[in-house]
Amino acid sequence: MVQFNLPDNSKLTDGDYYKSEKCNGNTKKFKIYRWSPDDEKNPRMDTYEVDLDDCGPMVLDAVMKIKSEIDTSLTFRRSCREGICGSCAMNIDGTNTLACTKAISDVKGDIKIYPLPHMPVIKDLVTNLKTLYKQLKSIKPWLMNNKQKANDTENIQSRNDREKLDGLYECILCACCSTSCPSYWWNSDKYLGPAVLLQSYRWLQDSRDEERKERLKELDDTFKVYRCHTIMNCTQACPKGLNPAKAIAGIKQMIAQQ
Amino acid sequence: MSAKNTWKLHRWSTILLLPLVVYLFIKIIHLSTLPYQLILSEFSNLWGVGFILIFTVLGLIHMNTGVHEILDDYVHSDVVKKILNVIISIFFLLILVFVCLSLLLIFIG
Repeated sequence: MVQFNLPDNSKLTDGDYYKSEKCNGNTKKFKIYRWSPDDEKNPRMDTYEVDLDDCGPMVLDAVMKIKSEIDTSLTFRRSCREGICGSCAMNIDGTNTLACTKAISDVKGDIKIYPLPHMPVIKDLVTNLKTLYKQLKSIKPWLMNNKQKANDTENIQSRNDREKLDGLYECILCACCSTSCPSYWWNSDKYLGPAVLLQSYRWLQDSRDEERKERLKELDDTFKVYRCHTIMNCTQACPKGLNPAKAIAGIKQMIAQQ
Repeated sequence: MSAKNTWKLHRWSTILLLPLVVYLFIKIIHLSTLPYQLILSEFSNLWGVGFILIFTVLGLIHMNTGVHEILDDYVHSDVVKKILNVIISIFFLLILVFVCLSLLLIFIG
């Protein structure tokens, strides 16, 4: 059965409080989830006061400031700091989003930061995305076209066909959508989830791909696609403004028309 | 049944049930103003019996596929799922039998 209650060793406790040395009034409290596999302790919420006059405008700026100036043990992923790599996906103020594109000023009151929900935590804000990558591999996210290989010619696509990929190719695989989906929480081992299904739809829509039938046959499964119940959390969470729910509906339509 | 067909069945039963639910709602309002004997006579004609039967069968198909979806979502043990499926199927079958018996009793008078 689905587990509705947290196990005892996952229950959150109050953590340390790091007070800002400067008390100029323009400080903000960042409450951050902390857990380390190195000790047997429960996860805790550490509170850090950050001087906003001496900090960049985004949540990632504050988190990086905390790591470099207050607590070097804080662990998180980040890379591009401009919403392209998807590394800094985390749950900020109750929403899955990218820390680099979320402005501190957008959050009223204290900022609570958790790792992406319902994912195994490696440490602090770093989650294990192995299952997601395995699922991505299973949909074969690459162009399958035997003709092109044989002829070694240019693979021409019309302007209209190219436009069909808009709103699909922009996905950066940050996993904000999949980890906001209750269906993915309950069945992440079998349901592919919005991120992977959006990728799948991207290849199903590609006019140059020749394996559409095979791809759809693979997807026609009780769990892979049909666990989507149009909850739409994925669309609401996507930091790139994409619509995975629409893509899943498109897949269902394609399977039904087959 | 394949996942695609189950999904189609659930959608089609929803679409077909929509006008029937609206009709049933109007009918109930109409029947509420009638005396008991007239209500019985409304259901003892062929149209009344046919409507109730179609509504019940479609409703049960819709409920059955819906409940199976919920089981697939939340019950991860195959054994438990199978047992629950059998219990639910028996329950829905009993509803159908009771509806048929009730209609037969009204029809015979």
